[in-house]
Amino acid sequence: MNETTPNAASLTAPVAIVIAGILIAGAVLYSNKGQSAGAVEDGQGIAQAAGSTNSVRPVNDSDHIQGNPDALVKIVEYSDFECPFCKRFHETMNQIMDEYGNSGQVAWVYRHFPLDQLHPKNARIEAVASECVNELGGNDAFWRFANRLFELTPSNDQTDAKTVIPQIVRELGINEQDFNTCMDSGKYDKHIESDIANAVETGGQGTPWSIVIAENGKTFSLSGAQPYASVKQLIEIALQDK
Amino acid sequence: MVYVFRKVFSNVQYVILTAIVTGLVFAFAVWLPNLKLIGEVTFNSNASAIEKISFLYSLLGSIQTNFSAISAGYTIAIAVLFGINIALLAYYIRARRAALQGSGAALSIGGSVGGLVSGVFGIGCAACGTFLFTSTLALFGAGGLLAILPLGGEEFGFLGVGLLAYSIYLTSNKIMEPMVCKQ
Repeated sequence: MNETTPNAASLTAPVAIVIAGILIAGAVLYSNKGQSAGAVEDGQGIAQAAGSTNSVRPVNDSDHIQGNPDALVKIVEYSDFECPFCKRFHETMNQIMDEYGNSGQVAWVYRHFPLDQLHPKNARIEAVASECVNELGGNDAFWRFANRLFELTPSNDQTDAKTVIPQIVRELGINEQDFNTCMDSGKYDKHIESDIANAVETGGQGTPWSIVIAENGKTFSLSGAQPYASVKQLIEIALQDK
Repeated sequence: MVYVFRKVFSNVQYVILTAIVTGLVFAFAVWLPNLKLIGEVTFNSNASAIEKISFLYSLLGSIQTNFSAISAGYTIAIAVLFGINIALLAYYIRARRAALQGSGAALSIGGSVGGLVSGVFGIGCAACGTFLFTSTLALFGAGGLLAILPLGGEEFGFLGVGLLAYSIYLTSNKIMEPMVCKQ
C-alpha cells in the first residue's frame, strides 16, 4: 500500500478559501467603509459610494419634521415612497413617534431618496407631490400625505400614481389646480436632488437610510427597515449621549 | 446521502457544529447592512453590556422586516446549508485523518465557499438596492446591470443555495467512498 501524499489538487481547497475570504472581506469593507465622495449614478438612482454620517445636513426649517424640532434625539430618514421597506419602516417610525414624540425626546425628519433606477415610474413624482402638498397644505399635510401614500401604495412602482395622488390631494383639501401647477413647475427638483446628494454623502446605499443624531451631535447610521425593538434600543443608547 | 446524514448527525458534536456555523452565518447575513453601526454601538457608546447584547439580538429581527420573503428564505437556507457543509467536511477530514486528496474534496470546499460568497452578494435589500451587489457592480462601473436582472440581484442568493446544495452532494459522495490509498 502506498502512502498518501498531498498533491497539487489538495492545494485547491485552501486557495479557494483564501480567495473567497479576500472576496468577502473586500466586499464587506467596500460596502461599509466606502470610497471617495459619493455620487448617484447618472444623477439619479442607486447610490454608489459610502460617506460619513457627520456629513448629514443640519436639520433646519426646510425639513419635514415630526415632533419637537429641538428634541434630544433626531432621526433623519432618507426614504423612497415606492420602496416596500420604507413602507414598513414608516410604520415603525410612526410607532416610535407615538412613544417618544409626545415627550419631545425624539424628532423624525423625512428627506427624499427616490431610487429612480428601481422605481423609475413613480418614486420621483411622488417625492415632488409630497413637496407640493407641503407647500400648499403645510408640514402637517406633508405627513398626512406620506402616511396615506404609504398606506395606499403596493410599492415597487405598482402604484397608479395618476389616481392615487389626486385622491390623497382631494382628501387633504388641497386645491387640485394649484397642486398641478406646482407639479409642473419643477421648482422642487433641486431640493430633492439636494436630499439625494446628502443621503449619498452620509453613506446611503439604499432605502430606508437613517441617521440618528444624539444631543451631543454624535451620529449613528441605521440601514434598512430595522425592527421597532432595534430602533427603540438605538434611541435609548443615543439618549445617553448628552 | 440519507445514510451519510444519519451517520454524521448521529454524533451530537456535528449537530452542535452545524448549529454554531449556521448561527454565525445567519447573524453575519442579517447584521451585514449595519456592521458600522454595530461597531459604533459596541465599541464607542455609553451603552451597558446588557444594552449592547440586547441591541445586537434585536437586530436579528430584521430578517422579518428588512428582507423580502424570498431573500429571507434563501438567507436562512444559505446559513443552514453552509452549517451542514462544514459539519460534513469536518466529519470527512476527521474520518480520513489525512491531507485532503483529489478534486472531489477540493470541489466540495470550493462549492461551499463559492455558495457563501454568492449568497452574500444576494443578501440585502433587493428591492431597494442590494448592498454588496450594488457596491460591487458600481466598482466595475456596471451599476445599471441591477435593473436588467429580473430579481434585482436576488439571483445570487439562489446561486448560493444551488452551489451549497451541490457541495453537500459532493461531500456526501466523498464520505461514502471506500477508504483506499492512491498513488
